[in-house]
Amino acid sequence: MDEQMLQARQAFIEEARDLLQAMETILLQAEEGQCDTEAINALFRSAHTIKGSAGLFGLDAIVAFTHTLENVLENVRAGTQTLDASLASLLLNCADHLGNLVELATQLRGEDTDITVDAATAETGKALQAELSRYLNTPSPSTPPPSSRVAEAAPPVEKIAKDTVEADTWHISLRFGTEVFRHGMDPLCFVSYLSEVGELKQVSTLIDAMPSAAEMDPESCYLGFEIDLHSTATKETIESVFDFVREDCAIRIIPPYSELQTYVRLIEELSEDALQIGEILVRGGALTPNELANALAAQAQQGEARQLIGELLVNEGIAAKEVVQAALEKQKVNTTKKISETKFLKVAADRLDSLINLVGELVIAGATTAALASKDGNAALQESTNVLSRLVEEIRDSALRMRMVPIGETFSRFPRVVRDVSRELGKDIELKISGGETELDKSMVEHIGDPLMHLVRNAIDHGIEPSAKRIAAGKPATGTLHLNAFHDSGSVVLEVRDDGGGLDRNRIRTKAIERGLITDDVVLADRDLLRLIFEPGFSTAAEVTNLSGRGVGMDVVKRNIEAMRGTIELESAENVGTTIRLRLPLTLAIIDGFVISVGKAYFITPLEMVMECLELKGVASDSHYLNLRGEVLPFVRLRELFELEGEPSRHENVVVVRCGGQKAGIVVDVLHGEAQTVIKPLPSLFRKLRGIGGSTILGSGEVALILDVMALIELAVTTDTRTRLTCNE
Amino acid sequence: MSKTILIVDDSASLRQVVRIALTNAGYAVIEAEDGKDALGKLDGTKIHLIISDVNMPIMDGIEFLKNVKTHANYKFTPVIMLTTEGGEAKKLQGQQAGARAWVVKPFKPEQLLNAVSKLVMA
Repeated sequence: MDEQMLQARQAFIEEARDLLQAMETILLQAEEGQCDTEAINALFRSAHTIKGSAGLFGLDAIVAFTHTLENVLENVRAGTQTLDASLASLLLNCADHLGNLVELATQLRGEDTDITVDAATAETGKALQAELSRYLNTPSPSTPPPSSRVAEAAPPVEKIAKDTVEADTWHISLRFGTEVFRHGMDPLCFVSYLSEVGELKQVSTLIDAMPSAAEMDPESCYLGFEIDLHSTATKETIESVFDFVREDCAIRIIPPYSELQTYVRLIEELSEDALQIGEILVRGGALTPNELANALAAQAQQGEARQLIGELLVNEGIAAKEVVQAALEKQKVNTTKKISETKFLKVAADRLDSLINLVGELVIAGATTAALASKDGNAALQESTNVLSRLVEEIRDSALRMRMVPIGETFSRFPRVVRDVSRELGKDIELKISGGETELDKSMVEHIGDPLMHLVRNAIDHGIEPSAKRIAAGKPATGTLHLNAFHDSGSVVLEVRDDGGGLDRNRIRTKAIERGLITDDVVLADRDLLRLIFEPGFSTAAEVTNLSGRGVGMDVVKRNIEAMRGTIELESAENVGTTIRLRLPLTLAIIDGFVISVGKAYFITPLEMVMECLELKGVASDSHYLNLRGEVLPFVRLRELFELEGEPSRHENVVVVRCGGQKAGIVVDVLHGEAQTVIKPLPSLFRKLRGIGGSTILGSGEVALILDVMALIELAVTTDTRTRLTCNE
Repeated sequence: MSKTILIVDDSASLRQVVRIALTNAGYAVIEAEDGKDALGKLDGTKIHLIISDVNMPIMDGIEFLKNVKTHANYKFTPVIMLTTEGGEAKKLQGQQAGARAWVVKPFKPEQLLNAVSKLVMA
């Protein structure tokens, strides 16, 4: 298989995944009894497209399986089979199986043509096919189609159904013009030539145009013919027989009934180019180019009160109504597709990554230039570097925006998860999704799926109570799980909220003591008590189910979120429910930073977390909180925390930062102001350092460490708590 | 009795190829190298089909066609005009002169035979 084919196959796999996802969405709706004709058509088309394309790549296993599926869907589309909940459920399983087959295709090497299906998968496929064929009238369990390239076979149309003999012949009406003899043409000759393209079933000669003997001109032709022809040729081939008499003859070629269905199918299969209605019909084979040209000419002659070309074709009997209808549908779909297509451009992720990297370098280089210019004192140069920095900032923002994708894509897999898990547990749960349009960095989206999955499963398993218990507690029997996303002060918040029983404080406490996480005399704030569930090896479920695992989930979730510089918040009220909030930075690459320094060490805190800056005055040197307009503000001294050398400067400054609803102060020597910051991840050796989230290079060439503000706030708060605890004793 | 076809073209090699193809298909072939030459061949013998080039010296195909259409014995004889891809103006002239069957050069022998069998009853 050559490079182009391999690329095409990759595109097929991606396309198939999208189609399967779309099928799943429709089927889930169908289970709820919400499924309209358009959805059913879409379902059929998805299966059909997958089959057609798989055939192109010789993926016969996929073709064979999809064939049966397609037949069932065909019946559903035709209305002879209703799409009830049980069929929808079966079809969901089929879509899953198909998904597995498609994933097998991803493992193909260049020279492989068809996928190898392992025994278990093959067994599943067989079982599903057997179930599917029960929905078919024909009892044959599997009718694998010929491995021919289905989609390639466009013009030599094969018949779909040969139900009636009468309907299966072409009908040709010929009305020869009077001049035909004088042009050297013999009408009979053309009729006899027709037997070259098919079998003449019946020829009747029409003589009604023949004038009385006195008026008849023996050199003129007055004849017409009605011909029934049995042929497998295309309309265009049949028409070409009459090439030489076209100008002297009125011709109508009416396809057999079965052919009409073929046209409709071919038209539906056409590529997505935006075409004129006539072009669509010609491509589908329902109209020949000549017929189109004639019809257009006729339309032009109608002047002001002209008919639409589709109407004209139907009225003149040139094309069948249902075929024109299908073409109109196709045109509509194509036009809408075109509109939505122009909005998007598929770009390889690594190209974007390298762009972001370059922008990062540009930011640093720009900062260096700006620093030099300001040192130089040349006003004009400073002016131009200012302009430059502003532009770089804009480039940075638009480059980053390119990587932003809506979270909705990630959310869309949860309806299925919630359905499956709640069924397994016998719980009745409704999933509400909001904020799907909230955007965040692509790399973040990739990493957020698993933690979210954990949280959702946990909520269903441990959070929401069984119906009986809910009713007893005076709550609606159906539990509600809410997935939500929104932007909040420079970060993205993802929320998983359930209206279940809430976390049981007593049990957490008992468990924590049991596990040796706390001693039984410790007094913990409610918040800290709840946070214990994020400790490794903690599980509150009285029984372990196979769904939410053995309590390994929450600490892993926390670790994953923290790896993305995110934080996790927990709110829970007895009998009201639990809300888990994941707070993530908008991007992993470049941020607006605020530069501060202690001695010779430079630090950066994300600008959007900085509330205000003030001078540290009138605070005892061993104190860890200050009075901020009547509010207690805990703070950390960076010099102390990181054990930096040197004496504190005479005027220490406090940077007030806020994150996740908490405030704290960071005490530093000097405030330098804002700077664009390209985040360079720390080498793995330093990853575990508390309070440091990354590093960057300043315009001056200095390395600055990026502070992990959330961790610092926690440190400040706990130090504060400890101080208070000491006071109490 | 085999049907007779008159082939009019100034290229001897083309006439040769056409002759071979037509003879193999069972037709009798008469050759002429231009319109004037061809008119001379219309001497009353039955001709079932004329195949004529458009661009020829002495008398071109259009002129020849006009003459055929006025000839009492031959005015109903079918004529295939051999034309080139871009010869739209000539084609229009030919149509006005009553030409209906066209075969575009270069053609394959089968294509010509196909056209012939549409105009001459087997």
